[in-house]
Amino acid sequence: MIAEQLPQPTTSAATLRRPSFLSIAWRVISARPSRMLGLAIIVFFALMAIVGPFLYPHNLPINPNAIYAPPSLRYPLGTDFEGTSNLALIVTGARYVLFAALMAALFTVFFGTSIGLVSGYFLGPTDTILMRITDFILTIPGFPLLVVLSTVWNFGQPIAMGFVLGITGWGGLARAVRSQTLSLRERGFVEAARGLGLPWWHIVFQEILPNIGPYIAMNLLVSITGGIYAEVGLFYLGVVPFHVNNWGVMLNLAVFTGGALQSPQALPYLLSPLVCILLLTLGVVLFLDAMDEMFNPRLREG
Amino acid sequence: MQLLRRLISRLVGGAIMVLVVASFTFFLVRLMPGNPVAAEYNTLIMRGMTPTQAQNEVRVMYGYIPHEPLVDQYFHYLWQLLHFNLGQSISYEGVSVLHIVLSDAPWTIVLVFLGLITSFLLGVTAGVIAAVKRSTGLGNALTVSGSLLHGIPQFVVALLLAFLFTTLWPIFPFGAPYNANLTVGFNFPFLGSVAYHAVLPVAAYAISSYGGWLLTMKSSVISVLGDDFVLAAEIRGVKPRIRFGYIARNAILPLFTVFALSLGFMFGGSLFIENIFDYNGLGNLLVTSISNRDYPLMSGAFLFITMAVILSNIIADFLYSVVDPRIRRST
Amino acid sequence: MSLYDLAPTAEDAGIHIQNLTVSYDTDRGRFNALKNVTLDIRPRHITGFIGESGSGKTTLAMAMMNAIQPPGRIDGGAILLDGAGDVLQLRGEPLRRLRGRYFGFVFQASSNSLNPLKRVGAQLMDLGRSHGISDLRGLLREAKALAERIGLDGDRVLTSYQHELSGGMRQRVGLVFALVLKARILILDEPTTALDMLTQQAVLEIVRSIHQEQGLTTIVITHDMGVVAEMADRVVVMYAGRVVEEGPTFSLLTNPQHPYTQGLIRAIPRITGNLDDAKPLPGSPPDLATIPTKGCVFRERCYARTSVCDTVDPVPTSAHGDGLVMCHGVDAS
Repeated sequence: MIAEQLPQPTTSAATLRRPSFLSIAWRVISARPSRMLGLAIIVFFALMAIVGPFLYPHNLPINPNAIYAPPSLRYPLGTDFEGTSNLALIVTGARYVLFAALMAALFTVFFGTSIGLVSGYFLGPTDTILMRITDFILTIPGFPLLVVLSTVWNFGQPIAMGFVLGITGWGGLARAVRSQTLSLRERGFVEAARGLGLPWWHIVFQEILPNIGPYIAMNLLVSITGGIYAEVGLFYLGVVPFHVNNWGVMLNLAVFTGGALQSPQALPYLLSPLVCILLLTLGVVLFLDAMDEMFNPRLREG
Repeated sequence: MQLLRRLISRLVGGAIMVLVVASFTFFLVRLMPGNPVAAEYNTLIMRGMTPTQAQNEVRVMYGYIPHEPLVDQYFHYLWQLLHFNLGQSISYEGVSVLHIVLSDAPWTIVLVFLGLITSFLLGVTAGVIAAVKRSTGLGNALTVSGSLLHGIPQFVVALLLAFLFTTLWPIFPFGAPYNANLTVGFNFPFLGSVAYHAVLPVAAYAISSYGGWLLTMKSSVISVLGDDFVLAAEIRGVKPRIRFGYIARNAILPLFTVFALSLGFMFGGSLFIENIFDYNGLGNLLVTSISNRDYPLMSGAFLFITMAVILSNIIADFLYSVVDPRIRRST
Repeated sequence: MSLYDLAPTAEDAGIHIQNLTVSYDTDRGRFNALKNVTLDIRPRHITGFIGESGSGKTTLAMAMMNAIQPPGRIDGGAILLDGAGDVLQLRGEPLRRLRGRYFGFVFQASSNSLNPLKRVGAQLMDLGRSHGISDLRGLLREAKALAERIGLDGDRVLTSYQHELSGGMRQRVGLVFALVLKARILILDEPTTALDMLTQQAVLEIVRSIHQEQGLTTIVITHDMGVVAEMADRVVVMYAGRVVEEGPTFSLLTNPQHPYTQGLIRAIPRITGNLDDAKPLPGSPPDLATIPTKGCVFRERCYARTSVCDTVDPVPTSAHGDGLVMCHGVDAS
């Protein structure tokens, strides 16, 4: 093979004394300022979701004299249709949005990984049936399905929201995990484990799973953003009852009640959540670049 | 022969999927809190209809009678579906669902199709450049543009476009698929108006899926560039133009498998884009039917969107197997 | 028996490599894959390049065609081709034409050197078009004759796709591609790897007979001493990007001068005799990143190491009559 031209990396030396995961992560992230920025943005929003609701009273104050007020010192992001500070709405709304998205990502990863592992390890009829189901899930347009499901499902609780997002969104991950499992099961250490007569759950969870762990971790992050978009989208369309304040509700009210697209006065109300979503997307994209390098050392060449 | 067998198996698979989706919407409506079918029946009785009249009316709407056993209802419903009878709308009283869906579908299909073509051409071209020039500033910039746009959700793209180009800089018209003062038909001003109004929604579709094509094409080209046959052709002194053709055809093939995901994503986006730009397409229909609690219409719109995606996938898969000899001539 | 006109058409093509240095850019720095290689490849001879993985033998062959792929780079030197000048000075169209006219490179059996989406015949026509052949039908006829000459079913092969051919068949198809334009220099990359014993034998015989009939300059890249012993007129032993010994096959195999060559030969187990007589070479194959920049590159694995090996680069010394060896041990004697 022509690849022979390339010098062989000394893998033996690298595996003997492996530096801790955190120190590798830090080295990779701090290598580029863009990755640091990405991490900072993600941490910023995570903190907002955790402590945000404690910073404001449960019922946010309204101000009939400052309806759709422009940004000012008192209202840095302006106000909404009843004079509530947009900043307060954004900060207190972050928790539902991010928590539900985290739930969605966990469910996605749970379903996707277990189905992919089982399918790729057992092959045969199990694989055929599971992959048919996966194809089905992948083909059915996910968002319209969510909208239809919203007629029977109560999305009030973040867990309920996350569960539905997870159950409609695991297809792609399952397929990817399956193909990785397929290639891993032919590797020496898995064959050896099978030769030793170890039970399947040991092989699947102790031998194969750790090897695709990094890939799954990356997908967790991607699934979180996917979850955010889907739930904010559902609230924006107004097909889900507004139990709690969140970014999607703000978008909906800004466009449909405030007429933000035609009249500039409601614009800060529309742009606040939009910019938040854009920022978070930017943060995740910048940070994913670091995860890419951490988990696929081969990419460093490209 | 191989091709035909594959096509038939895909068609059978597609038919099964449609059946599953149809059953899903049936049971969804039946299991809804408050049983809308029975509720409709009761409303009609309260309006003074006789039970027989009310029963017939409900049957026209949903395809089955509320007091039948569930299994009978299910098979009645499927039987009606087989005759392309999707029931009758509740919110548009007396209009058949099929009629509404068919009149709204063209808007969605045309917009999605135009967006797909635009994003495919732009994304694939940019992907090739990003792959070939991956160590230069241009290549990096393209890749970053792809990852960022790939990450931004469709409703954000659509809202931003609407805000920027209809409110901030009113270059394009806001709302409505065409100028209402024009006569509808095949005349130049009308078609021009349709095209003019379609620019923003098509751009919204295109921008939101451009990144996906770019990133997939880039990684595909990079992997093909590493293949032995590319080096072999270079060493044999094959002309650059012919070599480019080798690379392009091989790199584009894997994109067919992305097609399925992309199409579902785009039809999903129609819910936002048609809503924001005020088009009477399937996506908007689905959303409004839910707000109006018009369940026969909701089922019909959802079924139709799903069928469009499934059918497009079968076509894409067929084209793929025609292009790839490894499938066409597998033994 | 030859349907195909195998008479040589152009003059003999010898290759003169002078001070060739090639380096690779990696994330750990820039390393030399070839350093100061000076070597003559004689026309009408079969030359075997032997060495472990990473010794630079394939890189050397690619450099001869000026086909080093990034992140590799040619840092200096010249490759003079009889009748064509310095290959390393050529770019673009002239280089492309030269490759088609002079070189035929045959990939090893396990690699996919054909476009998977096109029939073999169509790819042969692409090759013809690229090199200004107007009679494409004639080209296909010649390709078919050549294919049958080397034991393939010509019609079947020309209408096949790559996935329909076995590894051995792909390699032979590669041979057809290499020879159909009447290349003067045939380069075979690991011609016996991934083939069973009988197929190996058949391939080597075909190569040898075509080499003689067409008066080619043939280069066989291999890590198999047996292939060299059977095929080559001359042997080039490479280690860590250097030519450490070079000379006529018989003399080099029976009287190896360089400790590395001696080790390679000792490592071959023989069918007759005691398996324990085969001694593996101590140490591990060279890793370009850890090769010493000063002194002899082989010293870490050498039984005859002296203090001079650590500091002074060995220089070529005449050996095997018209060959050479690079070793301080030989220097001293």
